[in-house]
Amino acid sequence: MKSILITFDQAYYERIITLLEKSNCRGFTSWLEVQGRGSHNGEPHYGSHAWPSLASAIITVVDDSRVDTVLNALHEMDLATPKLGLRAFVWNVERTI
Amino acid sequence: MSLYASAVKRPIMTTLCFVAVAILGLFSLSTLPIDLYPDVETNTIMVMTSYQGASAQDIEQNITRPLENSLNAVNDLKHITSKSRENISVITLEFEYGKDIDVLTNDVRDKLDMVKSALPDNAENPIIFKFSSDMIPIVMLSVSASESMPGLYKILDDAVANPLARISGVGSVSISGAPKREIHVYVDPQRLEAYGLTIEQISSIIAAENRNIPGGAFDVGSDTYSLRVQGEFKSSDELKNIVVGSSNGSNVYLRDVARVDDSLEERAQQTYNDEQKGAMIVIQKQSGANSVEISNKVLSMLPQLQKRLPSDVKLDIIVDTSDNIRNTIASLVETVLYALLFVIIVVFSFLGRWRATLIITITIPISLIASFIYLAVTGNSLNIVSLSALSISIGMVVDDAIVVLENVTTHIERGSDPKQAAIHGTNEVAVSVIASTLTLIAVFFPLTLVTGMTGVLFRQLGWMVTIMMIISTVCALSLTPMLCSQLLRKNNKHGKLYKLLFTPINKGLDAFDNGYGRLLTKVVSHKTVTITVCMAIFAGSLFLLKYVGTEFFPTADDGRLGVKLELPIGTRVEISQEVTSRLAKEWREKYPEIKVLNYTTGQASSDNTFASLSDNGSHIVSMNIRLSDPGDRERKITEIASLMRQDLKNYPEFKKAQVNVGGNRGGAMGGQSTVDYEIYGYNFEETDSVAQQVSRILQNIKGTADIMISRSDYQPEYQVDFDREKLALYGLNLQTAANYLRNRINGSISSQFREDGEEYDIKVMYAPEHRTSIADIENILVYNSAGQGVRIKDVGTVVERFTPPTIERKDRERIITVSTVVSGVPMSEVVAASQAEIDKLDIPTGINIELSGSYEDQQDSFRDLLTLAVLIVILVYIVMAAQFESYTYPAIIMTSLLFAFSGVFIILYLSGHTLNVMSMIGAIMLIGIVVKNGIVLIDYISLNRERGLSIRKAVVLGGKSRLRPVVMTTLTTILGMVPMAVGTGQGVEMWRPMGTAVIGGLTFSTILTLLLVPALYCLFAYVGVKRKRKNINLSIEKK
Repeated sequence: MKSILITFDQAYYERIITLLEKSNCRGFTSWLEVQGRGSHNGEPHYGSHAWPSLASAIITVVDDSRVDTVLNALHEMDLATPKLGLRAFVWNVERTI
Repeated sequence: MSLYASAVKRPIMTTLCFVAVAILGLFSLSTLPIDLYPDVETNTIMVMTSYQGASAQDIEQNITRPLENSLNAVNDLKHITSKSRENISVITLEFEYGKDIDVLTNDVRDKLDMVKSALPDNAENPIIFKFSSDMIPIVMLSVSASESMPGLYKILDDAVANPLARISGVGSVSISGAPKREIHVYVDPQRLEAYGLTIEQISSIIAAENRNIPGGAFDVGSDTYSLRVQGEFKSSDELKNIVVGSSNGSNVYLRDVARVDDSLEERAQQTYNDEQKGAMIVIQKQSGANSVEISNKVLSMLPQLQKRLPSDVKLDIIVDTSDNIRNTIASLVETVLYALLFVIIVVFSFLGRWRATLIITITIPISLIASFIYLAVTGNSLNIVSLSALSISIGMVVDDAIVVLENVTTHIERGSDPKQAAIHGTNEVAVSVIASTLTLIAVFFPLTLVTGMTGVLFRQLGWMVTIMMIISTVCALSLTPMLCSQLLRKNNKHGKLYKLLFTPINKGLDAFDNGYGRLLTKVVSHKTVTITVCMAIFAGSLFLLKYVGTEFFPTADDGRLGVKLELPIGTRVEISQEVTSRLAKEWREKYPEIKVLNYTTGQASSDNTFASLSDNGSHIVSMNIRLSDPGDRERKITEIASLMRQDLKNYPEFKKAQVNVGGNRGGAMGGQSTVDYEIYGYNFEETDSVAQQVSRILQNIKGTADIMISRSDYQPEYQVDFDREKLALYGLNLQTAANYLRNRINGSISSQFREDGEEYDIKVMYAPEHRTSIADIENILVYNSAGQGVRIKDVGTVVERFTPPTIERKDRERIITVSTVVSGVPMSEVVAASQAEIDKLDIPTGINIELSGSYEDQQDSFRDLLTLAVLIVILVYIVMAAQFESYTYPAIIMTSLLFAFSGVFIILYLSGHTLNVMSMIGAIMLIGIVVKNGIVLIDYISLNRERGLSIRKAVVLGGKSRLRPVVMTTLTTILGMVPMAVGTGQGVEMWRPMGTAVIGGLTFSTILTLLLVPALYCLFAYVGVKRKRKNINLSIEKK
C-alpha cells in the first residue's frame, strides 16, 4: 500500500477525481483550499490579493500496482497544462486499520 | 455554495432568471409614459375670485389681501403671487417641487373655506384651478367653418370642448375666435326720440311678445284638451314686425325705429390661422399631468369628434407639444442605441474575440432593461434624465463584466476547464468588482437625496444608475461566469479574417503599451517635473473658468415661438388685426421655416378661461408660431427669434413686443433664460420710476432683449360724473341714470330667441354708428317717472380718467418685475453687468430690488450641486480608503478629479458651451468614472509590489499592463457619450453640454491620471519605505 499526496490548482479537482475513479482507487481524502508554492517556478497559490489562485490537495492510499498508472496519468495531465501546477508525492503506508 | 458557483452549475436556472428579468423589464418599458423631464413642473394652483364692479385697488384691498394672508399658511408654499385687476383677483400659489398636487389642492380649499366669510358679500366664491396660466397649452386646435360659422361656438362647446374636458388630466379647454350668436336690435336714437319711446320699453315689449304661455285644460264633450299660446318667435325676422307703440293713430313697428341684426356678439376675440379667420381650441393640462398621454387621448378622440360636427366644420392641429417630446425622446433613444453599438465595437476590438464580445453584448441590455422595472414601479416616465442615465451607464455596466471575463479567460488560457475557470476566475475578482461598484454607488446614491428642483432631476438619475450598477454587478457575478463556462473555449483558433483584422490592431496596441511604458519610465525618474507641470495645467485651467459663462438650462429648440404684441392701449381690434396681418405676411415671406402661424386678438369673453386669465384686450395680440423641425432647417430658433425682434423694431405701432422661445417666457426649462429684477414697494409712483431706471440700465447692457416692465400702462377711460342735485331735481337717481347708459351702450338683454333647442340672447342697444363719440353719450335721453326726458349732459359731465393698472403682488407685497431675455451671451455676464449699475442707483426707502427669474433657480441649483459634489467626494474617499486600507492611496487617486474638472472647463471653453445644470450633472458623474481609472492603476501597482517587485518596476509594469483596461473602459464611456455630444436630433441642446463635459473631463483626466498617479505613487511609496526603514533602524538601535 502506498499513499499518494496530490497537490494541484483548484481547477484540476474534478479531473483528478475522475482519474482516480477510472484507476479503481476508491478512497481519498481532500482539502479543497490549501495554499502553497512550487519549489522552482510557477505561480504561488495563496488566495491573497497578489496571488489570488488557490490549490487543493488529495491524499489517496492505493495498491502498489496502481501507483504508476495514477502517477503517469497525473504527469500527462501536468504536461498538458503546465501553467496550472500539479504535483504528486508517493510514500509507503506502514500500517492501516 | 457561492453565487457564481451555483450560477455556473445551474445554467438553465440562471438563464431563465435573467430572461424573466428581461421580460419584466420589456413589459415595464411598454407601459412607460413618455415625457420631457421627470415631474419637475412647478406645482401651481390658481385661485380666481371675481367681484363685479370693483376697481383694481378695491380688489387688492378686499379680496386679494385677505385671501393671501390666509393662503400663506399652506404648507410647502414657495411663492404666492397675485394680480388684482378690475372685477377679478387671480392668486397663483407656487409650491415646492415634487409635492402631490391633490393634497395641496385640499389644503388650499380648507384655507379658502376659512376665509370665505371675511370676503365682501357680493364677491363670488373663489374658484381653484389646478394649473397655471403661465403653462403652455399642450394642444391647440384650429377650427375652420363656413355655413356653421354663426353657430360655431355652441357646436364646438357641445361637440368638442365638453368631451375633451372630460379627459383626465386636462386642466381647461377654451374656445376662442368663435363668437356666440346674438340677435341685436340696433336702435336709432333720433327715431326713438321722435316716437317718444325708450330702449327699456322696447326691451320689455320684446320680452312680453316672445312668450309661450300654457292656458290650462278644458273639456270638450268626453275629451280634455290643453290650451296654449305659442307666441315665441320662430325666426328672427318676426321681431321686425312687433308693434312697439303707436303714433298719430297708426302702429309703430320695431322696424321703424330699429334694425334687427341676427349675427354674432360684438366684442369677441378673433383668431386667424394662417390668415384664415376661424376658431381656436386651446387645451391646457393640470400641473403634473403627462402631456403626451393627454395629447394622445386628444388626438385619438379627434376623428370621433369630427364625425359629430357638421360637414363644413374642420378641426386641425396647430400645436401639439407632445410632438416635440416624442421627437426629442426618439432622438435620445437613437443616441442610446448608437452608444450601445460604439461600446460593442470598442469591446470587440480590444478583446478581439467574438465569443467574449457576445457575452458582453448579452449582459449590457439586461442591466439596462432591469432599470425600466424601477421606472414602472415608481410611476416615472421615459424622459431625458432617465434616458441619459441609460446612456451613461452603458459604458459603466460593461466594466464589471469585462473584469470577470478577462480573469476567466486568463484561467482558461492557463489550462483550466471553462467551468472551473468561470468559478475560480470569478471568485478571485468578486471582491474588487463589488468594491468598484460601491465607489460608483457612492457617487450616484447621494444624488437621490438632493431636494428641490434639481433633486427631482437627480433623484431619478441617481436611482437609475445605482440600480443598473447593482444589477450589472449581480450579472457579472452570475450571468457572466455562466455564459463564460458555456461559450468560452480552450485553444481558440483564429481564422484568416481575424488575422487580417486584428494583426494591425494588436500591433498598434502593443506599440501603444510600449510607448506608454517608456513615457512612464521617464515620468517616474522626473517626478517633481511631472507633478509641477500637472499642477500648473490645473491652475491654468481655473483661469478659464472666468471665460466660461454660466446659465441655468440650455435653451432647447422645440420649434415654438410665442409672440406677444401690445399696441397703445385702447386701439381698436380692427387696427390691431390689420397691423398683425401685415407683420404675419412679412414673416411668412422672410422665414420659410414657419410652418404654422396663428394669432388671436380682442377682448376675451369671460367663459374663455385660457384667454381671460392671461392679458387680453383689443390692443393685445398673441401669436403662436410653429417652425419646422430643427433637423430640417439651417437657422436655430434663437437666431430666428433675434431676427424677429429686429423686425419688430420697424413696427412703431407696437408699444411692447416680446418674442418668446419655447412659446413661453422664462419657463424653468427649455425657454431662453430671463433675468428678472423684482422691485418691491407700496407706492406706485416710486416703484414705477425705479422700474424705469432699471429698464434703462438693462437696455444698455449687451445681450439683453425684450425688456419688459410687468406693470401695465394706466388705462384711459371715460367716466360720467353725475351731479346728484340735478338728478334729484329731475326726479332721477344715480342708478336709474347709470342703467340708462348701460342699456344703450352695452345693451339690454331683453329675451332669449329659441331655435333647435338652443337659446340666443336678444340684445337691444344703440346702433353702432350712434355710439362713437362723447357727444353720443352726452345726448342720451334719460326719462324720469313723469315721462320727462333729460339729456345726460344736463345732469352730469363726461370726463376722461386714468385708472390704476393691474396690481401685482408677490409674497404679499406689491411688486413690479423688470425682466429681460438673455440672448447670445451667458446669463452670468448680464447679471454681473446689470448688478454693478443697479448697486449705484439711489433707491427710495421702502423699496427693495431683488434678483429672481432663471438666475434665482440657477443659484439654488448650483448651490445644491456643489454641496452634493462635496458629499460625494467624501463618500468616495471613504469607500476607497476602506478598500485599500490606506489614507494615502485614495488621496492620490482623488487628484484625477482635479483634472476631470480642468477638462470640463477646457472643453466648455473650447466648444463655447456654458456651465449649466446639465454640464454640472456631467461633472458630478465624472467623479465616479474618473476615480475608477485610478483605482485600477493603484490596485495593480500595489499588487505588483506585494509580488515583490521594486517600487519603480511595480509602477512601470503595472501601468503598462493596466493601460489597456483603463483605455478600454474610458473609451467605452467616452464613446457612449459621443452620440449625445454630437447628435443633431431634436432636443440635443439639452444634453449636448452634458455629453461634452463628460468627454472633455474624462479624456483630460485619463491622460493626466496615467502620468500623475504613478508619479505621486512613487513619491509617497518612497516616503513610506523610508519611514519603515527608519522605524526598523530605531528598533534595532533600541535592542
